Amino acid sequence: MPAALEAERVTVTFGGLTAVNGVSLRVPEGGIVGLIGPNGAGKTTLFNALTGHVRARGEVRLFGRRVTRLPAYARTRLGMGRTFQVERPFHDLTVLENVLVGAFLRTADRHEAERRALAALERVGLADRALQPAGDLNLARRRRLELARALATEPKVLFLDELMAGLNPPALRDMIAFVRELAGSGMAIVMVEHIMQAVTELCDEVVVLAFGELIAAGSPQQVVTDPRVVEAYLGADDDD
Amino acid sequence: MTWLRLAGVAVLGLAWFLLLPDYRTLGITLMLLAGWATAWDLLGGWSGQTSLGHAAFVGLGAYTIGITADRWDLAPWWGALLAMALAAVLALLWGKLTFRLRAAYFVLSTIAVAEILRLVAINQRGLTGGAIGLFIFDLERPFGLDLFSRTVEFWFALGYLVLVLAVAALLTRGRLGYQMRAVREDEPSAQAAGINPEAVKLWAFAISAALTALGGCLYGIVLSALQPQPLFELHLSVRIALVAIIGGRGTLFGPLVGATLLTVAAELFRNVFAEANLLIYGALIVVVVLFAPHGLVGELDRRLVRRRYARSARG
Repeated sequence: MPAALEAERVTVTFGGLTAVNGVSLRVPEGGIVGLIGPNGAGKTTLFNALTGHVRARGEVRLFGRRVTRLPAYARTRLGMGRTFQVERPFHDLTVLENVLVGAFLRTADRHEAERRALAALERVGLADRALQPAGDLNLARRRRLELARALATEPKVLFLDELMAGLNPPALRDMIAFVRELAGSGMAIVMVEHIMQAVTELCDEVVVLAFGELIAAGSPQQVVTDPRVVEAYLGADDDD
Repeated sequence: MTWLRLAGVAVLGLAWFLLLPDYRTLGITLMLLAGWATAWDLLGGWSGQTSLGHAAFVGLGAYTIGITADRWDLAPWWGALLAMALAAVLALLWGKLTFRLRAAYFVLSTIAVAEILRLVAINQRGLTGGAIGLFIFDLERPFGLDLFSRTVEFWFALGYLVLVLAVAALLTRGRLGYQMRAVREDEPSAQAAGINPEAVKLWAFAISAALTALGGCLYGIVLSALQPQPLFELHLSVRIALVAIIGGRGTLFGPLVGATLLTVAAELFRNVFAEANLLIYGALIVVVVLFAPHGLVGELDRRLVRRRYARSARG
């Protein structure tokens, strides 16, 4: 049985710069894979390559199906959902309408789409803000709005780009529990995350990127003690 | 609520007809402009793709009616259907070529297409009568109605306006309407919601073009004498875009409000301040743009959305 998501030797170059170099990874159904690395390591670029927002070489498979040549919207239709690191809500639409856009992917009926959008807002705890213009939300709520919009597209593989950043401790606990629940329902999850608490509590496997290359992979405990990872984060000691 | 307002528009049209018998021609001009601007807004407002070439579709509609009636003896309803189909096909080809371009270049390309059609109208003398133009003398009568009478034209213009508003209302509350708004707001986010931005823009463009051409057919009959100069001109394209922007792009009734304001204002100023007419017209535009950057109805809508949310938060 093929994994929910498989990436093989994914490479992204911008002009002469190689932002992601030959990265492979595999996420089973219900699995959570964390993607960590210092700033500028290429995590978001890898995300964009996997979801089709930038062109990449190599191969990406969704449940065994090659999607490497498909544009982003076609991958969403096949079951890839994502949030953006710098949240991009539809500012002029209300919170409900934002999610409605996602829900319309699976149904053309306005009432049904609205019902599903409200259900998604309920899940992320934004139902009481349904009628607020999305541009007026604060950062933490915009993140949850992005999550609701992605969930409304009924993804099988969900990409979360720094979803936990900037959350206060109780909100962080809630979000960790929520992501665990999503994986429990069979969704495969890939997350770029700097909050190590979330990574160690949630991820089955962690992939570490530095300068666009995969430098380590394994359980959270293995990875954080790996000398190459420590070096990537703290820099090599110049004295030796 | 929307349908009630639409009925309100029909009643206002009726009132205009009864109370202002001397201004029926002005009423026709107003309703055609409002219909075109509402159609323009499907692409320019709801989908965020500014066109300064919609006169191309007005001219295409007028000339199609003229040519089919005068040269081929076709009934005007067949001419209208043909005009709408031609406009939609032109929009699809044009969009396919130009939606790749960034915003400013798309605007420039729309000007170019209208200009190309104008040159075709001038130079294809056999078909269009060239610079001298084309005259519509005789039209088949739908239900025995004389299409050259101002009264009949008034009712057709009102019917056209209500039809365009109804199509826009239906469209913008459904799936395509939300996809259009998503594409306008943020294309990567729209893609992440499974939307193909190019397909959505093409749909919006084709529908907008076909509706504009339908109004162009009626305009051709109203004019009866078709010439390339006023029909395909940039001036007309700008006026269509301008009334939609002033009234509020991306709102159902904004283009109608903008068209009413500018048409009535122009008429008043022309009589009252004959000399300063254009100056005041220009000043009015500047005032609206400065104090209501989202257009008149656009600002109202925003306030309404915020108030509705505040009420829901309190209750």
